[in-house]
Amino acid sequence: MPRGIALWAIGLAAALVLPLVLSTFFIVLLIEIAVVALFATAFNLLMGFGGMVSFGHAAYFALGAYAAALLAQKAGWPMLAALAAAPFVAALGALVFGFFIVRLTHTYFAMLSLAFGQIVYTVIFKWTGLTGGDNGLLNIWPPALLRSQTAYYYFTLLVIGTSFLGLHAIVTSPFGYALRAIRENPRRARFIGVNVRRHQLYAFVLSGFFSGIAGGVFAFHNGSVFPDFAFFTKSFEPLVVVLLGGVQSFYGPLAGAFGFKMLEWLISKWAPIYWPLFLGAIVIAVIVLLPQGFVGLLGRRAWRPRPSIAK
Amino acid sequence: MWTRSTSAVWPMVALLGLTVAVGPAAAQGKQPIRIGEINSYSGVATVFTFPYKEGLAMATKEINDAGGVLGRPLEFIHRDDKLKPDEAVKAARELVLQEKVDFLAGCITSAVGLAISAYAKDAKVLYFATHCQTSRLTWDEGHRYVAHTTNNVNQYVRVVARKAASFPYKKWAHISPDYEYGQNLWEEFWAFLKHLRPDVQVVQQNWPKLGESDHSSYITALLQSGAEAFFSGLWGAQEIAFVKQARPFGLVEKLHYFTPAIGTPDELDPLGKEAPIGAITTTFPWYDEGVLARHPKLPEWNRKYTEWAKAHGVKDPQPKLGASWGYASAYIMAEAIKRARSTDPDKVIGVLSEGFEMEFPWGRVIMRGCDQQAIPPQWGGVVKMNKEGKPIVADIEEFHGKDIIKSCDEVAQLRAAAAAKKK
Amino acid sequence: MELITSLFPWITNGPLIAVQVMSGLSVGMFLFLISVGMSLIFGVTRIVNLAHGSFYMVSAYFMVTLIEVMPERALSFWIALLLAPVGVAILGGVIEVTLLRRIYRRDPMMQLILTFGLILVIGTLVLLVWGPDNKSVPRPDALAGSVRIFGQPFPSYYLLVLGLSPLVAVGLWLVFYRTRWGMLVRAATVDREMLGALGVNVSRLYTQVFVFGSWLAGLGGALAAPTVAVALGMDADVLINAFVVVVIGGLGSFAGSLISALLVGELQSFGILIFPAVSIVLLFAIMAVVLIVRPWGLLGRPEE
Repeated sequence: MPRGIALWAIGLAAALVLPLVLSTFFIVLLIEIAVVALFATAFNLLMGFGGMVSFGHAAYFALGAYAAALLAQKAGWPMLAALAAAPFVAALGALVFGFFIVRLTHTYFAMLSLAFGQIVYTVIFKWTGLTGGDNGLLNIWPPALLRSQTAYYYFTLLVIGTSFLGLHAIVTSPFGYALRAIRENPRRARFIGVNVRRHQLYAFVLSGFFSGIAGGVFAFHNGSVFPDFAFFTKSFEPLVVVLLGGVQSFYGPLAGAFGFKMLEWLISKWAPIYWPLFLGAIVIAVIVLLPQGFVGLLGRRAWRPRPSIAK
Repeated sequence: MWTRSTSAVWPMVALLGLTVAVGPAAAQGKQPIRIGEINSYSGVATVFTFPYKEGLAMATKEINDAGGVLGRPLEFIHRDDKLKPDEAVKAARELVLQEKVDFLAGCITSAVGLAISAYAKDAKVLYFATHCQTSRLTWDEGHRYVAHTTNNVNQYVRVVARKAASFPYKKWAHISPDYEYGQNLWEEFWAFLKHLRPDVQVVQQNWPKLGESDHSSYITALLQSGAEAFFSGLWGAQEIAFVKQARPFGLVEKLHYFTPAIGTPDELDPLGKEAPIGAITTTFPWYDEGVLARHPKLPEWNRKYTEWAKAHGVKDPQPKLGASWGYASAYIMAEAIKRARSTDPDKVIGVLSEGFEMEFPWGRVIMRGCDQQAIPPQWGGVVKMNKEGKPIVADIEEFHGKDIIKSCDEVAQLRAAAAAKKK
Repeated sequence: MELITSLFPWITNGPLIAVQVMSGLSVGMFLFLISVGMSLIFGVTRIVNLAHGSFYMVSAYFMVTLIEVMPERALSFWIALLLAPVGVAILGGVIEVTLLRRIYRRDPMMQLILTFGLILVIGTLVLLVWGPDNKSVPRPDALAGSVRIFGQPFPSYYLLVLGLSPLVAVGLWLVFYRTRWGMLVRAATVDREMLGALGVNVSRLYTQVFVFGSWLAGLGGALAAPTVAVALGMDADVLINAFVVVVIGGLGSFAGSLISALLVGELQSFGILIFPAVSIVLLFAIMAVVLIVRPWGLLGRPEE
């Protein structure tokens, strides 16, 4: 699809040039948007393409973040090695928990993922000796070369851009189409020879893997990791981002992350005390008034109702 | 499907351009001294942070009316940390990079304070921790870019531990919320009590989760523990719930209750006639006749604050501890900048590391140089009913923090031990 | 046997066991009251109502205000106990008609996020209306003390809860299994489309169920108010507990909620005797175990 490639190229060019014109704060904001966008896109691999809604996805983000932080700080690994290991730790967690979770469907799928997510949270919160408990782990910084926000931005762009390519390749692969077939009708998918549960587990592990990348990148950006990364309210973040952005498209989460993070920043700036009132009202308004999310604002085609993804 | 959605990229770029344009235009002329203030302004902690914010605002108004600091007005830019350290770090970064604040301030939970402190150290921005109490802030994890303008947990708990040592109790139990601060409180209390009275022993421990709503099972466990007295690290709404639930069991009549937090009107007022009479606690005794006599400027301050709070729509305008902390914090920051004759962090740190003392309506606050830690007066007492049938803390004993706090040598040891542990 | 007594020294302490059973029972009854409304709303409308905890909190604040404005002390508690949940039911009705009804045809996750937005809005409105200060509802004088059970003191207010909750449970059972409305509600949990096709006004049924579920949340909040601090943040604590109880019991099953609430209450009560610091992980550990062993909760139905 040439047009798609052209847009990728323009997006990439813009992303490369932006730091030259933006203030440091916006570079920081772009890094955070990129992290949330990757987290939400990984989450949407399950929700949008696999029809599986996880309420505990923060666990895999946190596993990635804590793996990177612990390996760098306690085991003395270099940043790149710690960061490379992070997604595998998250994927391992996703494999263990996912084994049980994918045996369930719909709401129960969401609930068991929530339970496991909260267990991960509790372990991080309680294991003070290793994880620092509720005080988290502080001073997780990248090496001098990547220490400036601009340098880390380009590093983030590289890692997260590559991850996006990987995720895009996954959803356009036969595996991605099999996943969609399962979403639309698991029984029919089984009849045509798709091993439903195994595909779902693979998707779960892949989603955990990419969430782990997002967590690892964020750990070194933030300089610290906290148990809140695994808390269930953090699991709502990708859900909100995906729904606001538009669940039907691969790029919905990207648009959602952008819109949501901007919104969050502007509201906290203008209403530092009573921000929840405004954020809540806007979220409600978007949901009631924009059936297709932010992407719907931009799309030209009329919205077509689709079968529900989580009956 | 893909082609339609990729068009999202375009308006996004446009939106970004728009937001850049919205960025701040630096104020010209008499630029205020901007302090980014991060605290918990939504949810459960607002009971503490709202009075604190009013105290801070009142002091700021006074300072600015008197000509400001270095001829410049003081300005606080607030952000909500949502009780989460990662939100606090995010806010700190935004305040420093985008709002171009000169200093950082704030915090109510220790996790938030430590997280901002780590960020401040790295960004070389001076951070005034105001409302959180963990002693690790200026001790184990202390560094030159953090100063603490209020009490730390060590002074606060030692008031109660000293009182505890004056009773003959040997068998102790405790109930503390299961998180780092709760553990810290209990450990500090127990270490000091054990130091004062080596014959005490722990017979039972309770660790409800932070925010637990039903404590029945813990209360019955405490009753069966065989302890003579117990310590509680609970605070706020959770402690109110605990006390209300414990009352029908007669728990505080059977086991003597030692709790640093309950002396605040935030807990005693709602409890009313259900307050645990006889509990040993700490307080800010703005109403106590002895204290008022000892501090002749306090009545005037009480009046001024109450008026201010009423004028600003505060629903409960009595001068609470938080209000005094906010008030003192603003003045301490202003004083440090004044003495440094500059907003340059290194110069202000120079002043802080030498230390200074300030008189407040409730007594002298020492900013100690070796750890940049505030050492204010402390008050301990017993929960009693006053004549109107309202629970207050009576039999007030005033201590000064300097007589109970760990010494500079001890702090140096703590820092060395923490550094060795990291190696 | 010796091993058991050394591990669990309380096992031979009869009175302690009795009291822990009773306190676990009252914890469970509270959990049942707050979770059954959530379960009902989910069963019929498939909405996971995250604002359930907010309704509970608002009801407790209603109690505070109602008791404050009423001059007469002895009766004011009981009148407030009747009125506060009704106020919350009205609030629930307004939200259902103005917001939720517009998005029933959409993805259920949208409804979930909408109720998430409601948490933020309601929480801030409560802060604006009642201020940040902790509030408290005194127990009625008649129930302020304690009674003796096996020689141990037990709060008489909990007797009210222990008495009222089974009444609510029986009342619900009668409504669901002995009235036409209850039959429709049960039918809706099984097949909403079919019910609509048969000519039932499903939209109105949804509103009624949502109002009823909100009333139950309000009843929970009003009853719990005297035993806790009425304060911001009570919404979040309750939400998590209600959520877990509903899932363990099986979504939409009201008997399941009852069993699961009692199970959680008792496990909590005895769990802390063995591991004092267990409370933080207990709920979710039980939930995970139950869902692994019985994927649809104790009494839930498999989906499709």
